[in-house]
Amino acid sequence: MSDLARGNIPIKSENDIVAARRVVRDLATQLCFGVTDVTRVITAASELARNVFLYVGAGVMWWSILDRSGEVGLELTFEDHGAGIPDVEQAMTPGYSTSRGLGLGLPGVKRLMDEMEIHTEVGKGTTVRVRKWLRK
Amino acid sequence: MTNQNISLVKVRNTLLVTMPADPDDVTVTTLQEEVLGAMEEYRPKGLVLDISAVETLDSFFARTITETSRMVTMMGGQTVIAGMRPSVAITATQLGLTMVGTFTALTVDRALDLLTHLHPRRRIR
Repeated sequence: MSDLARGNIPIKSENDIVAARRVVRDLATQLCFGVTDVTRVITAASELARNVFLYVGAGVMWWSILDRSGEVGLELTFEDHGAGIPDVEQAMTPGYSTSRGLGLGLPGVKRLMDEMEIHTEVGKGTTVRVRKWLRK
Repeated sequence: MTNQNISLVKVRNTLLVTMPADPDDVTVTTLQEEVLGAMEEYRPKGLVLDISAVETLDSFFARTITETSRMVTMMGGQTVIAGMRPSVAITATQLGLTMVGTFTALTVDRALDLLTHLHPRRRIR
């Protein structure tokens, strides 16, 4: 798997959530995702960026365009150095949320994307990585 | 930043509110305050929230719309959400957004019909 292009955008204010959405919109559109997939990926990015902002206050969204033996995809990684998620299984339960009831949390985002991985360590931070592959 | 303006127009007995394509959180929060303020000022019977330009409906935006709709109901008005795009409807459903208790219509035109139906005009002799 090789990266065709990559970059990042800091998330430390509400405006950065909009900025993240715009970056993702441009990338997904350039990759020629269908209109529904573009909407799915932007919405997933919006939810994950908001999680970073609400739960931790600051973090980074890394993006990269992937090429896995001819299959092209978009990977987004949301990284923070917050408290971490003590119980990932609980966080993956539909409807579970701890902050102001905002965000339907990770299960909804997982449904919008093709792949999702969570790496979290209590006291160190959380990394959520999602991928969407271009359908041929 | 692109145009973040919310348009609020009173047409007859209805308040027509049009959302921009990609509103930030401040704009979404402003929506609630402006709509409730306009309800008091213009005293419309109903509110049509046109989201046909909206390209992304995340949980924050959806929650604000649902809450605003409930607040408008409390004030004595009726809200109809109009014009949700197919891609937005698919995404919102898969994400798990429900928007319980809101009326929806395919177009603003249909929303106005629905409001007329909800508030039949009384004949005055």
